[in-house]
Amino acid sequence: MQLMPLRKANWLLFPYPYKKRVVLLLLSAGFTLFAKASPHEPLKDTTRLSTQQQAIAFLDSIKQLDSSRYWPNVDPRLFLFNLRIFATTPLRFYEGKGTNFCAYSALTYIPLNHDPLGFARFMVTLYQKGRAKMGKVMFRPSAAVRREAGLLKYKGALDVSPAGQIWFLILADHFKGYLNFFNRGFDKGDENTLWASTNFAKFNRMLRRLFDLKVHARGADLIRPWVSDIYGYLTERSAKGPVFLYLNNRLLYKKRHVVTRFGIPTHFVLLLDIYKSDDDKINIVYWDYGKRTLQQVDAPLLRKIIFGITDYSFKK
Amino acid sequence: MKRHILHTALFVLLSFMLSCSYSKKFTKNYYIDNEATLESIRTRYKALYEKNPFSLELKDKQLNRIGLEIHTDSIRYIYTFRTDEPYLLDTLYKYNYDVKAISDLINDMQRAHCTWITNLDYYEKKRRKFLVFLSVRDKKLNAFLRPEKYFTLAFFDEVQVYDEKGRLMDNEFPEQERKINGSIFRRINDKVYYALSTRFR
Repeated sequence: MQLMPLRKANWLLFPYPYKKRVVLLLLSAGFTLFAKASPHEPLKDTTRLSTQQQAIAFLDSIKQLDSSRYWPNVDPRLFLFNLRIFATTPLRFYEGKGTNFCAYSALTYIPLNHDPLGFARFMVTLYQKGRAKMGKVMFRPSAAVRREAGLLKYKGALDVSPAGQIWFLILADHFKGYLNFFNRGFDKGDENTLWASTNFAKFNRMLRRLFDLKVHARGADLIRPWVSDIYGYLTERSAKGPVFLYLNNRLLYKKRHVVTRFGIPTHFVLLLDIYKSDDDKINIVYWDYGKRTLQQVDAPLLRKIIFGITDYSFKK
Repeated sequence: MKRHILHTALFVLLSFMLSCSYSKKFTKNYYIDNEATLESIRTRYKALYEKNPFSLELKDKQLNRIGLEIHTDSIRYIYTFRTDEPYLLDTLYKYNYDVKAISDLINDMQRAHCTWITNLDYYEKKRRKFLVFLSVRDKKLNAFLRPEKYFTLAFFDEVQVYDEKGRLMDNEFPEQERKINGSIFRRINDKVYYALSTRFR
């Protein structure tokens, strides 16, 4: 085989004169650097598709909501009251004690903060018609789930939030990941089981399908994200907007006096802020269980607990 | 070789049986022996909580690391302190807690091996109610090769419904079992129930 002369080969790869090639190379390098520093338009917390006032005005415009044959155990007055609370105090949205609804609760930050009117409309349609569309997803909840909404008990404030129960149950009923493989149909008590669980890929898929977002995720279910300076990375990301974290909850909230050697992530939270205190401890401010939480951790623990990091921006 | 396996199996079986009987004996007597201390911890905690909500945790086996959760309407603060550091008292002072009363409470919790105390909310007929949830880690419950166990207590303000086996049942639907933190609780008296759990919170 005859080899092509090197000069000719170069010319085929870069069909421009030398000076142009240098300019193109510099431009391309600059673009790459810029793209790495800012992969997408940052989401500011002030980005709003609708306002709380619009959501409340919409809810006020519904003079009377009749009982729904699709949701036999949901009181319409309490349902509307819940929607009003969601619109006015989104950070009070509560996933319930002992449930596996943390992922669904974390992502609810997006509609409640950026489009409360859209969320209220969706919920009212779902209540009245038994089905409704959000993003690319048409929800047609199963009969078992529709019967159960309003009956969940001993879950703290979720007991008196049938609207919250509906939202969690339809998400768990619709979206399936490998963790739900052996338990796909709802049975009584399944809100605490693998039926409601969410793995990292499923979580990111839910974000992409439910909302018009660009989702940027790092990490996996069993392998920590390949980030050398996790504090620096989170500081940079959270400065642009809220970041979802997939965590090993057993280390964050210790429940046993044993050393956990093999940790797996089980909990989703929304990181709102991160900063260092004078004693070099890291303060993380996150949202879960209907409240903001400020927790002090050290750098090794922070690195150990985080398995997934997801940030997002709206598509133009 | 076969005899060796048989001996090992017998040893494991015997250990298992002994561990079960020990737990039962422990739970039966522990509350009676320590009723005054536990009731005192619960009463003082409740009084302090009503002024300024918080939860306390003893994070390590030596009971030297204190976890403090401060609950406000909008945010929850979670701090960890070593008992030999001054930061705990500074923090309590900063958040307007009764520093002496909480220090005494922590000392009593250490003496009684209480690992966690909190106020849990629950709803009955749409009304919000509270129970004090307290966990004890006692050496008698833990041994080599035995999984970590905690004696957890639920203190109610009202008389609760239970079945013929003494299990805590749902007040509204007495045929339904009622779990707290995923555990079945059993009656000690009308307002106090216990469970042996693998988790302290």
